[in-house]
Amino acid sequence: MASRPSFVVGTSLSLSDGAPEAEKNAAESENTYILRPIFQQRFRPSVVKDCIHAVLKEELTNAEYSPEEMPQLTKHLSETVKDKLKGMGFDRYKMVVQVLIGEQRGEGVFMAARCFWDADTDNYIHDVFMNDSLFCVVAAFGCFYY
Amino acid sequence: MEPGKRRTKDDTWKAEDLRKHLWAVQSGSPKEDKKHRDKKLHKDSELDLLEYKEHKYRDPDRDARHRDLYTSKENPYGERDREKHREKRKDTKDREKEKLKERHREQDAERLHGRGKDREKERDRRPRKEEIKQTAAYHNILVREARDRQLLDRADKKTRSGSKVRIEEKERRDEDSERVDEDRERRYRERKLQYGDNKDNPLKFWLYKEEDERKHRKPREVDREKKHQEKGSTREKREKHSKEKGNFLTDKEGEERHREKRHRDLDDERHRNHTERKERLSKEEHKKKESKNGEHRNRGARLKRDGPGSQHAENLVRSIGKDKDSRRKRSREEGASLWTLPQHQEGEEPVEIEKEASDLQNAGPDEISANFEDDFEDYEDDFEVCDGDDDESNYDPDSQEKSEELPPAQKREIQEIQKAINAENERIGELSSKRFPKQSRMEYEKQSRADANISPSRTPVCGIFVDFATASHRQKSRSQALKQKTRSTKLLRLIDLDFSFTFSLLDLPPVNEYDMYIRNFGKKNTKQAYVQYNEDNVERDIQTEDIETREVWTQHPGESALVSGGSRDRGLSDATIVPKIDTPRLSSFLRAACQVVAVLLEEDRLSVRPSWQLTAEDNSLHVSDSSCQLNTDLPFLQNREVLCLHASQVQRQTVVSVHDVPGRASFPPLDSRLLLCVWDIWQPSGPQKALICESKVTCCCFSPFKAFLLFAGTVHGSVVVWDLREDSRIHHYVRLSDCSWTFRTPTFSTDGILTSVNHRSSLRAIEPVATSVYRKQSFVLSPFTTQEEMSGLSFHIASLDESGILNMWVVVELPKADNAGSMSDLGLLPGGRIKLVHSSVIQLGNSLHRKDSEFWGPTQTLSVKFLPSDSNHFIVGTDLGFISHGTRQDVKVSPKLFKPQQHGMRPVKVNVIDFSPFGEPIFLAGCSDGSIRLHQLASEWPLAQWDSSTEGSAICSLQWSPTRPAVFLVQDAASRVYIWDLLESDLGPVATQLISPDRLLAMTVTGESDKAGGSFLALALARASGAVDIQYLKRQWTVPKADEQSQLHLLLQEGLWSSEHPWRGPRGPPRT
Repeated sequence: MASRPSFVVGTSLSLSDGAPEAEKNAAESENTYILRPIFQQRFRPSVVKDCIHAVLKEELTNAEYSPEEMPQLTKHLSETVKDKLKGMGFDRYKMVVQVLIGEQRGEGVFMAARCFWDADTDNYIHDVFMNDSLFCVVAAFGCFYY
Repeated sequence: MEPGKRRTKDDTWKAEDLRKHLWAVQSGSPKEDKKHRDKKLHKDSELDLLEYKEHKYRDPDRDARHRDLYTSKENPYGERDREKHREKRKDTKDREKEKLKERHREQDAERLHGRGKDREKERDRRPRKEEIKQTAAYHNILVREARDRQLLDRADKKTRSGSKVRIEEKERRDEDSERVDEDRERRYRERKLQYGDNKDNPLKFWLYKEEDERKHRKPREVDREKKHQEKGSTREKREKHSKEKGNFLTDKEGEERHREKRHRDLDDERHRNHTERKERLSKEEHKKKESKNGEHRNRGARLKRDGPGSQHAENLVRSIGKDKDSRRKRSREEGASLWTLPQHQEGEEPVEIEKEASDLQNAGPDEISANFEDDFEDYEDDFEVCDGDDDESNYDPDSQEKSEELPPAQKREIQEIQKAINAENERIGELSSKRFPKQSRMEYEKQSRADANISPSRTPVCGIFVDFATASHRQKSRSQALKQKTRSTKLLRLIDLDFSFTFSLLDLPPVNEYDMYIRNFGKKNTKQAYVQYNEDNVERDIQTEDIETREVWTQHPGESALVSGGSRDRGLSDATIVPKIDTPRLSSFLRAACQVVAVLLEEDRLSVRPSWQLTAEDNSLHVSDSSCQLNTDLPFLQNREVLCLHASQVQRQTVVSVHDVPGRASFPPLDSRLLLCVWDIWQPSGPQKALICESKVTCCCFSPFKAFLLFAGTVHGSVVVWDLREDSRIHHYVRLSDCSWTFRTPTFSTDGILTSVNHRSSLRAIEPVATSVYRKQSFVLSPFTTQEEMSGLSFHIASLDESGILNMWVVVELPKADNAGSMSDLGLLPGGRIKLVHSSVIQLGNSLHRKDSEFWGPTQTLSVKFLPSDSNHFIVGTDLGFISHGTRQDVKVSPKLFKPQQHGMRPVKVNVIDFSPFGEPIFLAGCSDGSIRLHQLASEWPLAQWDSSTEGSAICSLQWSPTRPAVFLVQDAASRVYIWDLLESDLGPVATQLISPDRLLAMTVTGESDKAGGSFLALALARASGAVDIQYLKRQWTVPKADEQSQLHLLLQEGLWSSEHPWRGPRGPPRT
């Protein structure tokens, strides 16, 4: 009970499409910057949260913490969430999905994030899943690629 | 003055040479010769020697560079290599040591010789002390140099070339010695690893080793001794030469051998001392000897001597141990400081020097080439030795030469290595080029540089390949980075980036100890359970059960069975699935079927019970074919007299009997009430319906088109209505013996209501006022569809009381029954649907009031009849013997009165009047004086009047036969029944029947002629005993005769004629 807590962190990073053509023609043609995302394609935290929550519920409902399996699980989770987010049509968004799984041993945990970004376009959402043996924090950051 | 570290390294390279040289020497023969030849190459003047030395000095620099390159690479292999080398070099070292020993011997000799010159030494001692300190053990080299010098001297003595050879040899030897030093150093290090860092160990080891080697070498030493003697012969020559100069040299020579064995194990300190002394001696000697050779040569020799000498000393120092290291270092430092300048100058232009050297050597190209060849062969030897080891070549400091021109084996090796390196580079490049392109590039460059050093011919290939890939990659990445940079700079002008506030992703407070304990152990052997002390309070919301509500009504006083009601059946009806039944149709069917079945059963019963039939037979009158008795032998009909009988005009078999209040109590619950029984004459076993009425019923009638309503007038002036269709359940029923009887209370009563218009005197007659025939026909076309409404309710009821008030009532059927009773219709039975609405009132008193009859008092009206053809006209019988004719609309009618044949007022009550049912406008009137009049509507006077047919007894009842137009039946108060047939006799009744002994109280006639062969004419006779007889009259009065109506018509016309003479009395009826 006294040993230090163990966390496993997996991060998944993705770049949505949209960037390359801008670079291709940057020299000759007009720039292809989009300063603000289309309203429908905006990063909507509520939708993302639902998505994350669904994934967590599906994957972790009966999960038990085991140090050997958690690294794969975090990677798997982050990949799953990232793939799902990519399919949700947030065009020109870079997604960063961070998954942390820690053991529930009664220790206090404080986890925080800070971003240097454009608050008008970028956003983030996180969701926490807990059961008797583990807690899982999934943070998804969406950064707009102008 | 003393050599530095660099020097040391340089010398190690030379040591290799020395070793090779020694190898060559040992193997003897051709190489020796060659070397000798080489030596001849250097027959240049002594000026060349200096240059050569400079050349030699260049080598160290190159060598140092070379080694620097290798050190980094080869360190990993170093240890292993050294071990291998050590074994190989043991031999060489042995040889070197022997050499050293020889030198020792020489030195010893010199020292011995020098002892003689102690004073000289003493003189130099002080300045030399520093030297001793700094260059602790240089003596070996000095010895060597001394020997060299001797050689040189000797060479000088001999030919120039010879001296040259010696110089060469000396150089080589020096180099060898250096090499040996290096080897030794390496070995020492290894040994240090093996034996630990003990300070004594190295020395012991060295000593031990040397001794060991010496032992082994003993046999070989013999050979070497020979060689040595060869050399020694030269030396001897030199010694001889020196002897020429001074005697002490010979002594030295002599003593040298002598001391050889003695001083084998001399400690190094002594050695050094010896050498120092020797050195000084030799120097002095040298000066003396080489005074001719010129200053520069001497200097060069000195330089030469200093270099290897210091090296040698270092060697020794090392062999002594670490304790001398500090000193040696200092000496090195000093040496370095001293040497830096010349060394530097030399190092600056090594190539030039080399060139110069080669130019100088150009004088004898053959020799030079030969010299090179010799060198290479030497190296080849070395390589052969090293071939077994992969890393030998790398390790070998001579690889510089190898790179210039490599032997095939070496080339192969290098190729393999390069291949391996390339492969590895490629692999690394693939893996890391993306992430660390720069680093990998640097590595590549380094590698290529290294390769270039090893084999310059191959490096370009590698370099180009690597450089191309990396360069293109770098260019790409650079251009991309540039683009991104421009993009970002453009964008950053447009957007603002800022720091978000810190998001708290997870804040999990620590669980306190107790909670942790509970979480881990609290669940063991426990189970959560709830215990409630008071079970009622588990949940406040459901402490009480659902309130069951039921809507009920009640009525006070609860006289009938239906005193209360409500939705008590609702629950049941809700629970049970109500089958889909066409209830009205079913009930109508059942009603009809029941009737049929009941009739059949009745007939069966009659046939089964002959006694009953017998009695009926007995009771049948002579005027009748058969008779039956209605079963009035019921408990509730006991002791009741029948007040009146009435038969329905529409449903001929339906007869109603009104039973008076019983004379003596027989059935207590109903004793105070009047009973009415509705009979079906085909079912004489019991009444169809039993009705009760509070007051005495004086008259009654059925509804005109369907006999489902019974109206009755009471002595109290009220009109009551029974709806015979009503459900029996809403009525009071009494269980009597084997079956239950429902006693229906009136559906509607005018008792106590409508007081303003209601009758105030006893009712005398109640008559349905049917609509006219024409209107009846029009009903067919009316929108009303149900026959009930068409026929049943389109009529009025006229009620006539004694005071001459004729009330007209409208019969109204309510659309829905109200079990709770109506607040507005107070006379309505709860659940009843029929009510009477007062329509109009006709005051007959005024019209009947006559001046001449004023003294008779108010005229009493006794009966009323409406014209069948025109319901607006009615006739009213009075107690004055005349019949008033009136209309409902107060229209004047032509004969206002129908008067008897007798003129003048007579108190004769016209009890009954009856219209002919066959459409003839004639009516009969029976009077209390026993007279019967036949009136025509158009005439004031009667057609005929029979005054004495009943012998004076009052006419109680008079009725036309419903089957024959010319037949009517009369009952008088004397309990006699008269049958009149006008066609047969217009003077009197054709038959008279006395009903006795059971007196006749009431009589009614019913019959039907519609059915062919089924027509009947029945007399219902109510006896005083309470029995009711049905007498079926004989066929002669039942079946109408042919053309009877027209005959009657003719008769009436004659009667009209006779009526013109009313006072003459009735003429005989016309006979045809």
